[in-house]
Amino acid sequence: MKKIRLGSATAWSRDRFEPASELLERGNIDYLCFDSMSEVTMSIAQAQKLDDANRPGYDPYLVPRMARVLKECKRKGVRIITNSGWLDPIGAAERIVELAQELGITKLRVAAVVGGILTDRIADMGLTFIENGEPISKSREQIVTGEVYQGAGGIIEALKQGADVVITTRVGDACLYLGPLAYEFGWDLNDYHKVAKGMVVGHLVECGSQVSGGCFADPGYKDVPDLARIGNPIAEVDEEGRVIISKVPDSGGVVSVDTCIEQLLYEVQDPANYFCPDVVVDFTKVTFQQTSDNEVEVIANQAGKPRTPTLKALIGLSEGYLAEELVLFAGPGALSRAEATRELLLERFKIIGLQPQEIRWDYLGINSVHREATPVSEEVPYEIVLRVAIKTRTRREAELLGIEVDPLAVNGISGIGKWGTHSPGSRIRPIVGLNSSLVPREEVPYEVVIREVEFV
Amino acid sequence: MTKKLLLREIAHSRSGEKGRDSNISVIAYDPKNYALIEETVTIDAVSKLFRPISKGRIRRYEVPNVHALNFVIEDVLEGGRTRTLAFDESGKALSSLMLSMEVTVPDDLMSQFEKNLRRANQ
Repeated sequence: MKKIRLGSATAWSRDRFEPASELLERGNIDYLCFDSMSEVTMSIAQAQKLDDANRPGYDPYLVPRMARVLKECKRKGVRIITNSGWLDPIGAAERIVELAQELGITKLRVAAVVGGILTDRIADMGLTFIENGEPISKSREQIVTGEVYQGAGGIIEALKQGADVVITTRVGDACLYLGPLAYEFGWDLNDYHKVAKGMVVGHLVECGSQVSGGCFADPGYKDVPDLARIGNPIAEVDEEGRVIISKVPDSGGVVSVDTCIEQLLYEVQDPANYFCPDVVVDFTKVTFQQTSDNEVEVIANQAGKPRTPTLKALIGLSEGYLAEELVLFAGPGALSRAEATRELLLERFKIIGLQPQEIRWDYLGINSVHREATPVSEEVPYEIVLRVAIKTRTRREAELLGIEVDPLAVNGISGIGKWGTHSPGSRIRPIVGLNSSLVPREEVPYEVVIREVEFV
Repeated sequence: MTKKLLLREIAHSRSGEKGRDSNISVIAYDPKNYALIEETVTIDAVSKLFRPISKGRIRRYEVPNVHALNFVIEDVLEGGRTRTLAFDESGKALSSLMLSMEVTVPDDLMSQFEKNLRRANQ
């Protein structure tokens, strides 16, 4: 019986490097899939490109990642699927062709899946933001990026055209897995139960080791063996639709019903209506069964509903700058010295005329993580770190925070410590706020562009 | 007779972000305790914990097939990950706030839990 094994190499751009090689060497996989995006990836990449036009528009980790596995993937016939094309999937495909030549690979077909980047036209499409109902056109001047989540159609088309490597821009993360499954088993994207199964598979493994013991360990409650050598997940699907989630053999981590449930609900709103580009999935129809150590069967047979007429778009808006500083205290009176520092800084802001749009003070060790929801405690911790963060309209205003905090080393409260990192500007970043919208799908067609290593 | 304990003793949780909202799952370790969790971990109970930082609605979804609840806490990240001044910008640490909820459970569940805890600590 035909079985397809998909290896999940990365959950995002800066994930670990080893899992790709381990999956390739020991995972007996047919596809190696790299998710390289989070929600903010495109807008940050665009903001960086505005600062430095020569910067490639694709994932800067793409080449070092591919350099480790490309030759062996080609030799074994393992095909690569990734969304690391970001702003420039064609540029990424051309760079991979160059890399292949550098590695002495004599034949390689790389497909770029393009379409879906709407930065230049989203303000003119008559759309509104989901968050506040405002027309997008009103925010025209602030728009940094706009792109839709494409479905699996482009990936399927690229595989049909014989691509060894498929590089996309923004697609639904799980589509990196649905694509090869639909291609291999000939699923019609209108067959929503099958497509839903593919999306459940993709959703479970798209965040890499989060389904195999990552983000799971809670010592004494949920123990995970050998987390330092955690194995990334493998999804196996056979032609009868049986799905097994496992991980790299002889690795750390754990695949259990509990790890699968945590990941099933991760970043989900209404579990009965999980909206995807190609389908709506009902996660309340999904169950799990432990079939052996580190192997879980996923049962998701009637979990689909027809797709919606729209695709979700993310729109990045330029919204000023953020700056943050940390000031350290310990020992007797640590908290009162931190509080006095807060008062001192507020007075200094008045003197220099710094009026941030927003300001936030946290006391690390007391209330910085759960913020105002932190339970009140009588205990005074030994150490306190005062954190101040501000939001400003201009970079210059953001810089004023550091300019005021640095002198506290000599003119502040006694026993003051400063945190170490201090390359100029490192504590300041531009804010690209994300909003979303729904775009009629016929307005955003995709296209497959092939680049090849020529025969030598 | 009943006793109080932390939700952490009978459930596990993971939080994630979606735009301005966070989702936080509550998953029964033992499927037998799902009914108890469904009854106890109400929107009201979750509001008591999260109201100081949530600017929007709190929605609850039941997912009995995996003996879990899923909560969506709207506008809990001060504008979402991309805009927030919060130190935990992604809200991934919010699952532990959920598990800090005090729940009232029957005594017999308590003794079963103590057995589990002893085993876990061995």
